Amino acid sequence: MKSMKLPAPPCAEGNAQNTLEAPGRRKFLYRLGWGALVAGIAGQVFAAVRALIPNVLYEPPRTFKIGLPESFADGVTYLEDHRLFIGRDRLGLYAISAVCTHLGCTVKMMNLNQPELVKIGGKPTEILQEFHCPCHGSKYYGDGTNYAGPAPRPLDWFRLEVSPDDGQIIVDSSDTVHHDFRLKA
Amino acid sequence: MKRNWDNLGIFLCGAGILLVTILVYAGQFQPEWKGYQKQFRAMVLEKYGAARAQQVPSGPQQIWAKDLNRVDRCTTCHLAVGWKGFEDAPEPFRTHDHAILEKHPIETYGCTSCHGGQGYATDLDSAHATALANWEQPLLGKDVSETYAVSDWHMMMQMNCNECHRYDRKTPGAEAINEAKALVDQKGCRACHTINGRGGVIGPDLTYEGDKSTEQHDYSRLLGVQSEFGWHVAHFMEPTAMSPGTVMPAFGFTSHQAEVLSLLVMSWKRNPVPMQFMHGVKLGDFPTPEEIAKEKQMETGEGAFFVKHTCFVCHSVSTLGIESATNIGPDLANAVTDVPARFGRPLDDFLMSPTGTMSVVLATQIHLSPEERREAIAKLKIANQLLVQQQAKTGRGKKE
Amino acid sequence: MGMKFKERWETLTWTWNPKSIRESSDSVVRNLLLHWFPAKVSHKSLSYRYSLWLGTISAVLFFILCATGLILMFLYVPSVERAYPSVKDIGFVASYGGFIRSVHRIAAHLMVVAVFLHMMRAFLTGAYKNGLGANQNRPVNWVLGVVLLFLTLLLSFTGYLLPWDQLAYWAITVGTNIASAAPLVGDKIRFFLLGGNQIDQNTLLRFYVLHCFVLPVSVFLLFSWHMWRVRKDGGLASVDREAQKAKEKKSIPIKTKTYALLGITSGRTVAVESSYIDQDENLVESVPNLTGRVLFVALATALLVITLAFLIQAPLEEAANPLVTPNPAKAPWYFLWLQELVADTTVHLGSFTINGALVGGILIPALLGLLLAAWPYFDRSSTAATGVWFAKERRRQNLVFLAVIFAILVLTFVGTFMRGPSWHLYWPWQAWPPSPTRF
Repeated sequence: MKSMKLPAPPCAEGNAQNTLEAPGRRKFLYRLGWGALVAGIAGQVFAAVRALIPNVLYEPPRTFKIGLPESFADGVTYLEDHRLFIGRDRLGLYAISAVCTHLGCTVKMMNLNQPELVKIGGKPTEILQEFHCPCHGSKYYGDGTNYAGPAPRPLDWFRLEVSPDDGQIIVDSSDTVHHDFRLKA
Repeated sequence: MKRNWDNLGIFLCGAGILLVTILVYAGQFQPEWKGYQKQFRAMVLEKYGAARAQQVPSGPQQIWAKDLNRVDRCTTCHLAVGWKGFEDAPEPFRTHDHAILEKHPIETYGCTSCHGGQGYATDLDSAHATALANWEQPLLGKDVSETYAVSDWHMMMQMNCNECHRYDRKTPGAEAINEAKALVDQKGCRACHTINGRGGVIGPDLTYEGDKSTEQHDYSRLLGVQSEFGWHVAHFMEPTAMSPGTVMPAFGFTSHQAEVLSLLVMSWKRNPVPMQFMHGVKLGDFPTPEEIAKEKQMETGEGAFFVKHTCFVCHSVSTLGIESATNIGPDLANAVTDVPARFGRPLDDFLMSPTGTMSVVLATQIHLSPEERREAIAKLKIANQLLVQQQAKTGRGKKE
Repeated sequence: MGMKFKERWETLTWTWNPKSIRESSDSVVRNLLLHWFPAKVSHKSLSYRYSLWLGTISAVLFFILCATGLILMFLYVPSVERAYPSVKDIGFVASYGGFIRSVHRIAAHLMVVAVFLHMMRAFLTGAYKNGLGANQNRPVNWVLGVVLLFLTLLLSFTGYLLPWDQLAYWAITVGTNIASAAPLVGDKIRFFLLGGNQIDQNTLLRFYVLHCFVLPVSVFLLFSWHMWRVRKDGGLASVDREAQKAKEKKSIPIKTKTYALLGITSGRTVAVESSYIDQDENLVESVPNLTGRVLFVALATALLVITLAFLIQAPLEEAANPLVTPNPAKAPWYFLWLQELVADTTVHLGSFTINGALVGGILIPALLGLLLAAWPYFDRSSTAATGVWFAKERRRQNLVFLAVIFAILVLTFVGTFMRGPSWHLYWPWQAWPPSPTRF
């Protein structure tokens, strides 16, 4: 092919000369042409890859309602659908995630036969249950504090609110709170 | 070899590919919804300030009503649905009526289960689906209402309410459907049609009439819009015009009545809604005690003969407690005197060898043996005696 | 630094941009993608007018289909419940999803057209005929081509069902019912194809696996074989024609050469008479002359496809409903000539009836297909008719071939544009009665 700089094959006589005659302009046009081509193909490839990044998700919403405050008894209730423990003590309601902070397995609640006194953050605290992770043996006290196994941090606590519409509890699983949090109810 | 144009061709194609790619990208970056989201953000900014304006979502939004198997992206443009303070704003920025949303939370019901339209869509034409052939259920809103010159567009949507509320006698807010249900009782549709397991067998069972596919009706005699709704309206107005040879009488419905009745029959679908959605909804069509008493009286009382042989479809026999829903024919309580007046022949003679309409009916619809005819004559004579007694009583009553 | 970058770049790209004839030949030998080209090609085989480059266009379309199909496979769910919604999602919420789907659809239709035209070109130029070269066996490659045409139709047909809309469902219903008209085994074939008596989850999964794995892989393998045979047969048939002409001019060859791998294969291999093939004035380097032209044809095809895809959106009708047949229900357009035949060929002989589906759906197409595949073995014309458009010697068979093609095109046109509800005839410009809607 002429403009591809092939030195004088039988068919390309004179073309190589042309290439040499006006190298600046030719080179520029040459680069422009290839540039457009590469840009166009890159655009197509990017579009294909972008199509694989979902714009909408078929996942349960991060904020959800779990029912009226009255429906939760004293102690800890497990909500299987939401992988969530809802606890009620004399101060109010709280929510602890059942997702192990190590690698995301669901922890299992173990009710203790009798209340146990443990030190959490140097403070003696009475606990009624523990959470054990089946995957790698992480163990948490009833308030979510990790005390054994590979778990790097305590279980998440989520913010609870009462819906002004229908009085149901709203859980916001994107909003973690401190272990002192209670929903007065 | 002649001059070789391949390189030029390669570059031109490269430029062409780049151009089309840019056009494709331009379309992707300028979707219809982007304009609406921008507009709404400006409205919120003006009304509530910058902090709340940031809460206006960007990108396609969807409500996944998993249990109803619906994916509704309406809130991509109809952004104000859950916001307060936009009650009077123009669509698509209007706040949704709160009372209805409280009972039918949008997260679990979605939008299209009530409003119709195509939930998957993210552009106006596809979403409202009023002009497209490729989606069965259009948005039941103003566009559809205008097509049929329906005055109140809200009534079209009530068809969807009744898919779940079909057994309610009265559903608050669904006035058009309530009106249609009252008409069903008043006009005695059940004399001929079975609805929800109760009724006659002269006409087809209408319990799941709404499930009939659009193609099942014969549109060859229908003028105007070729639609199932249009067919039902025309059929209610003048049954024989749509189905020649039908025995269904014209009830003289107004066009409004025909429309609400059409919506009602089209709402009668098998609707596999999960139980949790039917909380507090009646799950059967139970007659009231008065209706049960009336039915029992009709079926087992003195006039049972006229129910059994379906005479009551057209005729009442008032003194025997038989009430016709249609009253197409005269009350037979005074047949003894009325028949000679009409036909110039005594009742016995007429019923044994009828003329006119009754000759057709007794030859095609109702088959009576000579014994049965004699029984009918005897019953009608009793009915007439009762009528005479009644008249005597009321006559005396008047005097007193 | 800049210089270093330039040098590195050149070492990476030298095969595409050789600076000498030696580099050019080297690139063919050393580069994986280029090694299936010959080092040199004749001017004649680069001509647009002879081959119309339809084979290359078909191959490019196939690779575009593989690329877009791969993306679509990530987005599509082959289940009765999820298929239609997932196609809706591709159209409405996946970035560029609608465009990618349109590219896939347009390329699929064009591939059917391109492969068919390629077959026509090969027939009309007598390209399935052997020339002067030793060990040529072009008829085999023709049979491979016919099989590839059949596979292309099957690929398109299996893809037709996947959107799971009314169009898909009923086109496949009509299409597969043609198969059931085959005597004795028809119903069993259909049962096996559908995985049941009607189109359902089994069918969807079968068609999906066929469409995404079995058929593309088969096409790729056969395509490779097809290309390999082109090389074994000494390139395009038009080159044989040139050699023949040269031979007629000079009765004594100047020199001969064999390209046999000494001691490994017997006899002479691809060499045509060296009188023509060895003369430098007839030849150019494949790199960049052939590669450049292949690139141009590929890009032009791609440009055509994406432009059409940008302008024409792939349609999606209502979700498949086995209870409601749309009116009219049509097979995919490239099978409409069959549907038209099926509708017209039911024969009544006294009390005896032969179903049109058997005559029009099985006997006629099977006969045509077999005749097409076997035609090189019936064609008795001389080597002079090899690689020439409308050779005088082959005039009669070309006319018959064109007549059959014309009939197929007319039937396809009638089926596509002139059949309305209830298979009534309508003029293309005549409006159909409106189909009823719910509101």
